[in-house]
Amino acid sequence: MREKRRLPLSWILIVGGLTLLPLVTSGTYVIGVMCFVAIYATLACGMGLLLGQAGVFSLAHPPFFGLGAYVAGILAARGILTPWAAIIVAALVVAVVAYLIGAPLLRLRGYYLACATFGLLLIVEIALGQLSSITGGHDGLVGIPPLVVFGYTLEGDLHYYLLSWGLCLGCLWFFYNLMNSRVGRAIKALHDSEIAASTVGINVARCKLQVFVLTAIMAGLAGSIYCFYLQFTTPTLYGFSLLVELFTMVVIGGATTLYGPVLGSFVTIWLREAIHMYLKNILPVMTAEVDAVFFGVLIVAILIFTPGGLAGWLGGLAHFGRTLLGKRV
Amino acid sequence: MAKESNSSLLDVKGLSKFFGGIRALSHVSFSVERGAIMALIGPNGAGKSTFINVISGIYSPDLGEVHFKGEDIAGCPAHVVASKGIARTFQLEELFSSMTVLENAMSGCYSGTRSGMVACGTSFPSARLEEKRIREEAMESLAMVGLEERAFEPVSKLPLGERKLVGFARALCMKPTFLMLDEPAGGLAAHEVERVVKLINVLVEHGLTVLIVEHNMPFVMSLSARIVVLDAGIKIAEGTPEEVRNDEQVIRAYLGQEL
Repeated sequence: MREKRRLPLSWILIVGGLTLLPLVTSGTYVIGVMCFVAIYATLACGMGLLLGQAGVFSLAHPPFFGLGAYVAGILAARGILTPWAAIIVAALVVAVVAYLIGAPLLRLRGYYLACATFGLLLIVEIALGQLSSITGGHDGLVGIPPLVVFGYTLEGDLHYYLLSWGLCLGCLWFFYNLMNSRVGRAIKALHDSEIAASTVGINVARCKLQVFVLTAIMAGLAGSIYCFYLQFTTPTLYGFSLLVELFTMVVIGGATTLYGPVLGSFVTIWLREAIHMYLKNILPVMTAEVDAVFFGVLIVAILIFTPGGLAGWLGGLAHFGRTLLGKRV
Repeated sequence: MAKESNSSLLDVKGLSKFFGGIRALSHVSFSVERGAIMALIGPNGAGKSTFINVISGIYSPDLGEVHFKGEDIAGCPAHVVASKGIARTFQLEELFSSMTVLENAMSGCYSGTRSGMVACGTSFPSARLEEKRIREEAMESLAMVGLEERAFEPVSKLPLGERKLVGFARALCMKPTFLMLDEPAGGLAAHEVERVVKLINVLVEHGLTVLIVEHNMPFVMSLSARIVVLDAGIKIAEGTPEEVRNDEQVIRAYLGQEL
């Protein structure tokens, strides 16, 4: 019961904060960065669900993100479909690809699954670069038209801010409902004991495949919104560096809760912005390296001091607060 | 033949399981009557847990047949076996350690419920209704094992004896017709053992069939109508507690160690 009462408050705070943000900030800088936060949060959230809750060690999020972006981008740029239809078709394509790849790969466990899905990541990145007649190759895909909703053209950061946060919060809402249902318990059961899960009637292989495809679809949707936002896309956006970034977000935020990766995405992206802004003057040439060193140290520190990530730390703080209040009453 | 399988719920014929060169089970045959309590005993390494693992579909047998309600279930995957009404507990609990006591029990309701991923994710009214029913059923099961007051605690914080009872409650949530208990009294305090004995008797009165694997001999003798004795994967005796206690081979293989 306590959980049920606590959640709406945090939702009201988050949604309220996000609604107020465009009103209190001037210019497009903050809103623009927050678009990235939302898109990365959607991705990291799905990845956190797979790694932390289902115990499926999959690294295939960047390729599904990339596929979503490229399928939607190509269909729209070539004028084959209207942008909205292209997003839906891209989600379906990603679902089918995830199903076909997941069915054999999810028989693997742990590091073997990680290796196989990492292979997929490399293959997709190389394929996107080499199939230049379709994808535009390393020069990138250009000519992506703007999104049009019911005759209303989406342009500028604010529109995409609303769209991307809509997707992110929608995914969070879906995941939250899911994890508090029989399917969610089955997903958590996979992580704790596959043997016990199967003896209570959970089809382990099917359940894994379902959650794999679900998170892939959400990554694909995030990808198509990303490509319409940038109106440009290149293979390097969906490669190893994205994987590292997502991992950073999941670890910093904490994978055992749903909101952890969202928090991780917010903190990671804004920390990077801060580094770029303030260290630019001191270290004019070395920003990328400073980035890597800084986040490397941060990940190590988080793993040592609060292995549950920021979410785990906040959870501990909330628990401490409740016991303090509880004792006073 | 059909009449025979009607009277017994579980029919095991010539069941064998090998691990490399080790015969964990070797041509084990026996039947469990509907509504009976059957105990499987034997010294360490006799193949008792392997037997439960084979029946519940975690291992597939190398030879032999397993008929449940007249249907051959040998080699079926575990989730299929579960959906046919066979539940089990584990010697080492095998609970879902990241969940609360209640959630563990609720996960036992999985095979009896239907809401899919989309209905659950969108919190569709039918899914919410089902969730409410699952919660009620899980609370009932917890009340039966006497854990309703610990429902919201993380299962990892419970002592061993209570964790065993959580496993019991989870199995009850599956509404099984056949329940296999792997050492249900192991690690339990005396009053908890008493509760388990009472509970098993109540369940059997309501028509459940129970198979117990146990080391605790007084516990077994107080409960079971029939006992099967395994030694080194071979069935060496079957009968009432009296018959088994006086069986030469059993005394030699099992009780004889202590005489």
